[in-house]
Amino acid sequence: MNLSVRMIVVLTVVGLISGSLLAVVGMLTKDRIAFNKQQEIKAAILEVVPGTETSEEVFTEKNFTIYSGKNRDGNLIGYAVYTSGTGFQDIISLMFGTDPNITKINSLSILEQKETPGLGAKITDKEAFLKFWDNKDAGRALSLRKPAAHSQDELAPNEVNTITGATISSDKVLSIVNQSLEKLKQMKQAGKLISEENDAE
Amino acid sequence: MELITLFIAAILVNNYVLYYFLGICPFLGVSKKIDAAFSMGLAVTFVMTITAVVSWMINHWILIPYNLDYLQIVSFILVIAALVQLVEMFIRKVSPPLYQALGIYLPLITTNCAIMGLALLAALKDYGFAKTVIFGIGSGLGFTLAIVLMAGIREQLDLADVPKPLKGAGIALIVAGIMALAFTGFSGMIN
Amino acid sequence: MPSKSIGAEYIKGLWEENPVFRQLLGMCPTLAVTNAVINGIAMGLATSFVLILSSVVVASLKKLIPSQVRIASYIVIIATFVTIADRFMAAFFPPISKSLGPYVPLIVVNCIILGRQEAFSSKNSVGRSLMDALGMSTGFILALLVLSSIREILGMGTFLGHQFMGAWFKPWIIMILPAGAFITLGILLAVALVIESKTKTRKN
Repeated sequence: MNLSVRMIVVLTVVGLISGSLLAVVGMLTKDRIAFNKQQEIKAAILEVVPGTETSEEVFTEKNFTIYSGKNRDGNLIGYAVYTSGTGFQDIISLMFGTDPNITKINSLSILEQKETPGLGAKITDKEAFLKFWDNKDAGRALSLRKPAAHSQDELAPNEVNTITGATISSDKVLSIVNQSLEKLKQMKQAGKLISEENDAE
Repeated sequence: MELITLFIAAILVNNYVLYYFLGICPFLGVSKKIDAAFSMGLAVTFVMTITAVVSWMINHWILIPYNLDYLQIVSFILVIAALVQLVEMFIRKVSPPLYQALGIYLPLITTNCAIMGLALLAALKDYGFAKTVIFGIGSGLGFTLAIVLMAGIREQLDLADVPKPLKGAGIALIVAGIMALAFTGFSGMIN
Repeated sequence: MPSKSIGAEYIKGLWEENPVFRQLLGMCPTLAVTNAVINGIAMGLATSFVLILSSVVVASLKKLIPSQVRIASYIVIIATFVTIADRFMAAFFPPISKSLGPYVPLIVVNCIILGRQEAFSSKNSVGRSLMDALGMSTGFILALLVLSSIREILGMGTFLGHQFMGAWFKPWIIMILPAGAFITLGILLAVALVIESKTKTRKN
């Protein structure tokens, strides 16, 4: 077998074996990976819209997805918004839950972030940041309380607490949520949040 | 507007070398003289931009539509190897002196994380076409900035009295660390 | 030159020819994922998987692959194993896969792997290549372990996520930042050189 032919044959064979091996592995792992992603979203939805039995994606575009949460009887108990935006260092991915009429925010969950460890990264900490997001008034835009308050009672219904030393990260989270909240309300008003089963019986 | 922010972010805030740790081998290897560093930086920027475009096309026109994403790594690296080969031949024809200056470093561009990292990061962040191109150019320039700064410092270090164990890679890494620290100051710059 | 014993092929990877500390290879992942011990270990294992399997395959096929296409073939072989490792991790260890991010696919350009194929597996028996790969892998994991332990203990006060330092310790955040990675590795390289020269003088 002369050299050129041999080169082509070897490369083709290596390529084919590699391709087939990968195709097999790809198929074996594909479902599992999709499943993992779904589980992560489901868990986050359950956290921000407690009592959710079934959830459904009612609207999605790049970086912004709205899920509806229904309880065991099929009644709408809230919306979960999954979105991301620029943080201090890199992208922050979060999810927050509201009631069906979008009058309050149930809670906030940070899914992905790369903020400064020990400072901005505290946005994932319940005690340091997230607990101040529980049961907030969503009637108007939220604002950031600076300097940091010591307890939840000090905060106004639409105020959230800043993290000392990580004002910018806190602020970035705030603007991501505010923008998404606005969008959510607009979607609701435009009637775009109707799910398959009409809950207006 | 978003493109400009992305561009600045790639160069300063999320600097390719000092934040993403990509391109360390050439960063440490070529950064001894400023002109060589600058040429390398430009070569890398050039290859990165083309790679950004080609990898985006492969990803969005072939891999995703046909559900072949598991072939991403293999296809990217083969494309990069081919691209670098082409760039090398191109430079050799168009500018022999430049080819001489870059010497062995061109083929090295293939097997270093710089280019492959670019393709993978852009795919991971799921950028659109325009963003991918800007990301490629920005990352290349960020790399160039880091490597030129490093060369400037190392030219000075050559004249200084560095303790023997630290000579070479040791002191280079420590300098890189200080640079990385300085660049952290750019965080939060973009909205 | 007398042929090394099979055991020696393994041992050399641990120190004498340690890929990170002595050969200065594979630094991208070493710096990027050593912010926590668990990440370092995971990356080390993933890289070892690719290195060991690639070395065995290359050594087995070395007579069949024409020299002109050897680099391309090695790349395809390595990329295949990297994809398998990446997919496997994403499917069964999602949180670690997320922390390691793009650095697992980047194993494909880790100079240690291609370097070993070119320098060793393409010229040695399968047995020796296997030992070489195992040695290099162990050396690499050790390097990652040392670096990530220093960074996690000093940077967060924990080890493998568990509290290690007492409450009195205020973590040195810089250790978790890129700057800390560079500086620590630089110092470790210097330490390696000092140890090396001291052992040389003792031998003489």
